[in-house]
Amino acid sequence: MIRLLAAAALIATASSLQAQAWPAKPLRFVVPYPPGGPVDVSARLLAPKLQAALGQPVVVENKPGAGGNLGADVVAKSAPDGYTIGMGAIATHAINPSLMASVPYDPLRDFTHLALVVQVPNVLVVHNDVPAKSVAELVALAKTRPGKLDFASGSTGSTGHLAGELFKQMTGTYMVHIPYKGAAPAVADLLAGRVQLMFDNLASALPRVKAGQVRALAVTTLKRAPALPDLPTLDESGLKGFDMTTWWGVMAPAPLPADITARLNAEVLKAMDEPDVKTRLRAMGMEGSAVRSPAQFSAFVAAEAKLYARLVKASGAKPD
Amino acid sequence: MEVFDNLWLGVQVAFSWQNFFYCLVGVLLGTLIGVLPGIGPVPTIAMLLPITFNLDPIAALIMLSGIYYGSQYGGSTTAILVNLPGEAASVVTVLDGHQMARQGRAGPALAIAAIGSFFAGCVATLVIATAAPPLAEVALKFGPAEYFSLMVLGLVAATVLAHGSLLKAIAMVVLGLLLGLIGTDVNSGVLRFTFEVPDLADGIGFVIVAMGMFGVTEIVANLEQKGEREVFLGKVKHLFPSKEDLKRSWAPILRGTALGSFLGILPGGGALLSSFAAYTVEKKVSKHPEQFGKGAIEGVAGPESANNAGAQTSFIPMLTLGIPGNAVMALMIGALMIQGIAPGPQVMTDKPQLFWGLIASMWLGNAMLVILNLPLIGIWIKLLQVPYRFLFPSILIFMNVGVFSLSNNPWDCLMMTVFGVFGYVCVKLECEPAPLILGFILGPLMEENLRRAMLLSRGDATVFFNPVDKPISFSFLLAALALLAVIALPNIRKKREEVFVEE
Repeated sequence: MIRLLAAAALIATASSLQAQAWPAKPLRFVVPYPPGGPVDVSARLLAPKLQAALGQPVVVENKPGAGGNLGADVVAKSAPDGYTIGMGAIATHAINPSLMASVPYDPLRDFTHLALVVQVPNVLVVHNDVPAKSVAELVALAKTRPGKLDFASGSTGSTGHLAGELFKQMTGTYMVHIPYKGAAPAVADLLAGRVQLMFDNLASALPRVKAGQVRALAVTTLKRAPALPDLPTLDESGLKGFDMTTWWGVMAPAPLPADITARLNAEVLKAMDEPDVKTRLRAMGMEGSAVRSPAQFSAFVAAEAKLYARLVKASGAKPD
Repeated sequence: MEVFDNLWLGVQVAFSWQNFFYCLVGVLLGTLIGVLPGIGPVPTIAMLLPITFNLDPIAALIMLSGIYYGSQYGGSTTAILVNLPGEAASVVTVLDGHQMARQGRAGPALAIAAIGSFFAGCVATLVIATAAPPLAEVALKFGPAEYFSLMVLGLVAATVLAHGSLLKAIAMVVLGLLLGLIGTDVNSGVLRFTFEVPDLADGIGFVIVAMGMFGVTEIVANLEQKGEREVFLGKVKHLFPSKEDLKRSWAPILRGTALGSFLGILPGGGALLSSFAAYTVEKKVSKHPEQFGKGAIEGVAGPESANNAGAQTSFIPMLTLGIPGNAVMALMIGALMIQGIAPGPQVMTDKPQLFWGLIASMWLGNAMLVILNLPLIGIWIKLLQVPYRFLFPSILIFMNVGVFSLSNNPWDCLMMTVFGVFGYVCVKLECEPAPLILGFILGPLMEENLRRAMLLSRGDATVFFNPVDKPISFSFLLAALALLAVIALPNIRKKREEVFVEE
């Protein structure tokens, strides 16, 4: 009996010692969007890799709602113990704080930015019947028919919308923004020719461009997209300095202990560099980012927040 | 015949032991989650997504599709037995299916649902095989103006759903429309009626309203009548439909299949409408409309066939255009993209095994479902003999689990309870929930499409009724007007009363 008690005590001390070595229990990986979208898919690609590296289950939890703010807020308000991580995206961390009347978290101070996972360019695509074959021709067309062209986007304040507004500003043209509930119905109207153009993300546009359903005119990044190397950038096409990407990365509540931050950053980057993850992401038109360290990521988020504060204001997308 | 060559290729793919196995797993899982109230195909497929990464893409797609149409089958079981529409499509099945169960005719109701679904599934599979690309073109012809007019027609028809007072039905439709306004305005991004609650920013989920107003309300109403429930469940006589049942059902099954096959191809609420549309049609053409809402087998046969046909043909825009018509299709596209397959018109030519294998597997899956489900009917009926005091707490728990799993948000469970209480008040006031649900579904879609059509036309309202430019929209509005005339004209008033007021 005494021996049994002693054994039990030994086991108890051993497990309490183990509890101090992170990670001692499963991690939850919050995705602020419904399942099936690109952010969710990339989280579900990463989760098994992190699980293998950390030796603990990593459970993906979808917390959609309020443009991603509900899920981001869950992460922000969790204990910074390394057991809650989440995807933070351009919408939750750069656009929404400027677009929405109030956001329940501070995108910079409430988060430890662990690793930027994906940057996807947007592509300017037009319906096949639009006569313009290049950005210059499109600008000329828009100037001869002011207010006659429509551009679709997945929602008010989406990157597709803001890219369109920036395009209008830089070219001095006037086109009408048609917002949809998600990208799918917007693409349907683009395919049918009811709207003439759209700034769609590369992942969704790529198959349609390759199949000739729509015509791509340019990418929105400074560098050409590896998936479409022949497609010029907007910057090359006369819109100097036009640079927009859709991005998302792994974040945790602040302040996360430095050793856990370093470990998670290393594991996420290692997982991203694994060939099968790389090929799967590339198949969806997603590329890893040059931003690698947590500090670089924080600086990147801050810069993006600034850029979109300016763009949202200029676009008039913010409701009163 | 190229179609037969292709189908033969598909059959060879689908009947390989591996794909056969995944098809079986898919439909089994689908039936299970369909039966469990509130747990729908979306969270299930999301959970299984990582497993499919290491599968052959064909096997993955076959399994995920099986889950989807399997859940449409299973959903009707709960709707009929315990008055719980777990899926959007089974709201209408509740109306007459549960009444049949109350009369001890749960067996025939379940069997007709299974037979109708099987028939519809087979026909819709053939439709996909023979006419997917041209039908996708038709789907593209539906723009904002056409959708708006279709919804107008749907809303006018909504009053037919009620079998009580017409005035109360209209009031419930309007209330549904108002509830649908809650959330973020699509055009401006302004939050409407959210009272600074962030959980309301995306509006109230349809499943939450339906589960609250049908499911919770039913439980409360049942608890009110002590002991009676066990009595009416005791008199289950035969499990299978009689000759008379079959005679009354074959035409509704045919009509439901046709309606569902067509509406299913429309992305944006088409498939959702199909079961409502089928019910409306059945009540309109029936020789005894007074039986509807009180256990008419046509009211089960038509909508059940329609929702299954719609579920099947909703693959058409996904496979041929790469446009997801609903959340499940969006997940399928995610599953395909992660395999490096871009959904779109090139799938059919680049990956014929995938395209035709999937189609053949749908037929196989439907056959499996009917083989699985018919013997299960006996077991489901036994479930009703479980004393209600044990049954209702488990139903409540499953409902909460299901609603929570929609977006992992406890707020949704709270909302379901609120709608349960509200639904009980409505029962006491003899206001029916079905018209409210339809208004709730159609309202936001109507507003969105109306404003988008006006935005695209720069404020020119003739886009809705110009017979030259918009013949589709024009005919829908004409049909709505005709239906309105049937309801309003005094000389056919007597007939209207037959149709609407049966109390």
